Formats: sequence, structure tokens, C-alpha cells
Amino acid sequence: MIDLDRISKAYPTRTGSNLVLDAISFSFPPRTNVGILGKNGSGKSTLLRVLAGTEAPDSGTIRRKGTVSWPIGFSGGFSGSLNGEENCRFVARIYGADVDDVVGFTMEFAELGEYFYMPVKTYSSGMRARLAFALSMAIEFDAYLVDEVTAVGDFNFQAKCRKAFEERSGRSSVIIVSHHIGTVKSYCEHCAVLQKGRLYYFNSVDEAERFYEAA
Amino acid sequence: MQGSLTQLQVVYALLLRETKTRFGVNQLGYLWAIIEPTLWILTFALFYGYYGHMSLPGMNLVAFMTTGIVPFSLFRETAARCMSAIGANTGLLFYPQVRPLDLVLARAILEFVTNLVVCALFLGGVALYEGVFNIESWLETLAGLSLAGGLGATFGLICCGLSVYSTNVDLLLPPLLRPLIWFSAVFHPVESVPNGLRDLLLLNPIVHTIEMVRNGWFPGYHARYVDPWYPITWIVVMLFLGLNLERMARRRMEVV
Repeated sequence: MIDLDRISKAYPTRTGSNLVLDAISFSFPPRTNVGILGKNGSGKSTLLRVLAGTEAPDSGTIRRKGTVSWPIGFSGGFSGSLNGEENCRFVARIYGADVDDVVGFTMEFAELGEYFYMPVKTYSSGMRARLAFALSMAIEFDAYLVDEVTAVGDFNFQAKCRKAFEERSGRSSVIIVSHHIGTVKSYCEHCAVLQKGRLYYFNSVDEAERFYEAA
Repeated sequence: MQGSLTQLQVVYALLLRETKTRFGVNQLGYLWAIIEPTLWILTFALFYGYYGHMSLPGMNLVAFMTTGIVPFSLFRETAARCMSAIGANTGLLFYPQVRPLDLVLARAILEFVTNLVVCALFLGGVALYEGVFNIESWLETLAGLSLAGGLGATFGLICCGLSVYSTNVDLLLPPLLRPLIWFSAVFHPVESVPNGLRDLLLLNPIVHTIEMVRNGWFPGYHARYVDPWYPITWIVVMLFLGLNLERMARRRMEVV
């Protein structure tokens, strides 16, 4: 469960400051998959980073109950000179997970073959994303924060991701941000729309879709 | 309690990671960490052995150079490595539990251990060569080295915080730190410096740490002017400033 209380975040621009999150208060319900729709530049990735704690809001407070993942789907957080396995070891250690379990799971899930033992800088962006996604699945979180899952891998890999999330749907929840309604539909029961710094919440994805398209 | 346990995990993971990226994949990396200070120590020992007119009663020249060069380079290297800790690892700040402070801490520890090994190799080597193991106080030598590392780490932390605001800091500071070696009593005991100059020299906190290392290692070495509280005060003040800067930098930083 994640509670947001009057979260604001602005970025400086040439013409003044751009308020991306405008005093958002919201409680994400536990064990419920929530999609967050937003157009490009609406601040959805910022919201996800704030939820994860990667970025601090300018004002407001966040309370997290249970463990929350880093923003997944983002291939950052890897060091290019280390290989896939070494990067996995590092992440397993900082999350206090069993290193060998994490490495074993990630290797199998990511399907990188020999590349798992090659420096990450030699990866294509698709391979990086696959490694990032597999690694996040290797660690148990109460809430998974996913950024644009549609960008990750081919059709088979996406089916695999969906299955992995379904398997843990009783235990954990997924919060997905996307500009694509299809992604949200296939994962989430509830949906919110981020627009001009405000978050509009809907109990059904269809309602959210109507609102999103109208805007 | 939970928080400090997580932080320990993070620093430990960073330490293993830094060791790998710092020394590279091949074993030659470790060797380089030792070759560089070796060249320094031997060059200066040879130079002062031929041209110097110092009398160092009861002290081996190589051992004496080691006690000056190792704490100094410990300070300088720690400062330089800590300074670039954030810049080189922005990607890691993407994991919420990794703080800039942890990056600095991991680098400082690695630098300290590396220099400790170098110091032990040289001082131990000389003692073996001469066949005399007569040490005044292990503890004081170790304390001197720790304080030198502490000065480097806290100074580096400040620069690291500043470098988030301006990239000039990374470019300007390393060359500015270099000449400091001539004002740190690296090549001569503080005792041998004339009065007026000595007071000036003692304003430099590194001088105190170097003298502590010598005082602990050489029996009969008189470091009358050493005050361990002086570098400690510097460390506390710089730590306070650095931690505040780190806090501000953390808010300002764009994690992409």
C-alpha cells in the first residue's frame, strides 16, 4: 500500500517552472493492479520515480507499507563495464535477497544466453530491458512499479511477463504507467489518468478510457 | 535499526562492486594499486638519499618516506575518488536505498584498505630487511592513517556535493591538491622545520596525521607538536558541511 499526501513536483524550464505533479493525494489499494494513463510529458514517469523513492518530491509525504520495487522497464541502474551476472549480484545484495537464487532466476528468465556473462555495455536496448525486467521479477516485492512495459521484448517475452505477474497477483500488486490503453487493459482492474498535474481515479478501465480519450 | 542494516548491505554491495570496477577484471589491477605508490616512495627515497642532508637517526629512509607518502596519498586519492563518486555512479542512485553518502563511503573504505596494504608491505618489508621489529604503537600509526583517510573522505564529500552544482569543481580541485604535498611535511620531520614556518605548517591537518603515523612507528621519534584533536575537528566540521551539501544535492539531482 502506498499513500500519497499532497505530493508536488516542479521542474525548472526556460519560461519558468513546470508543475508536473500538483498536490496529488491518493492511496493505492493493496493487492490491486492500477494503471496510470498519461500522454507523453504528462509526468507519469516522474510520478513513478516519486512512488519508488528514486526521486524526492518538492513537498508532500509518501508512506509505503511493504516493499516497493525500483521503476522497472528502465534499463538504468546497470553499470556498463560489469556483466549481467555481476549486476544481478549487486542488486540482490542491496535488496538483501539470496544472491544465487536471484542470479539463477534472472539468467533463465532473461534468455540472454552467453550475453549474460558479457559486459552490459555490449547489450542492445532490448537486451538491457529484458535483463532489467527479469531481475525485478527475481526479487519479491509487495508492489511492482512498471514503466511502459510494452517496450520490453518481443511477443513471447511479453507473454512471459504477464504470466509472471499473474502468478503473484495474490501476493503483490502492479502499478503500471503507460500512454497506451491496451497495456493498462491487459494488466489492471483499476485505472487513473494523470492530466495537468492532477490524478483522476476510476474503478473501471473503460471509464478511464473515455475520460482519457476525451481529453 | 532496519534502516542501518539496509545501509550496511548497500555499502557492502558497493564495496564489492567498486573493487571490481576499480581494479578491473584482470589481476593486474591489484598490482597497479601497489606499483604506483612504490614508484613514488622509491623515487623520493633515492632523491633524498643522494641529495638530502637530513639526519634521520634510527630511521630507514624508505620507511620514513613511506610514513609521509602513504598518509598523504591516502588523503589525496580518497578525496579525488570520493569527489567523483556521484558523477561516476549516477545510475545507481536510481535504486532508492542507495544514497550519495554510501557511494562516498564505499570508495573511502576501498581506498583506505588499499593504502593500508601498501603501508604494511613497505614498513613490514623494511623491518624484515633490517631484522628489527621495534614499533612504538601500532594503534597510533593506524589512527594517523585513519584520520588521513577521514580528512580525504570528508573533503571529498564536500567537493562531491559541490560538483552537482558545477562541473568546474572536478576539474579545478585535483590540480590544486597536488602542490599540497610540499606543505604537508611529507619529506621531513616537523621538528626540523624552523619555528615560524612550523606554526604555519601545523595549520595543515594532514601534517598532524603524518606525524602521528611516524610517532607510532618509529621508537624515539618525537612528534611534540602533534594534536590528534586538530584533524578530528577538521573532520567533524567538514562532515557536517558535507552531509548538508549531500542532502541538498540529493534533492537537486536528476536521476535519468
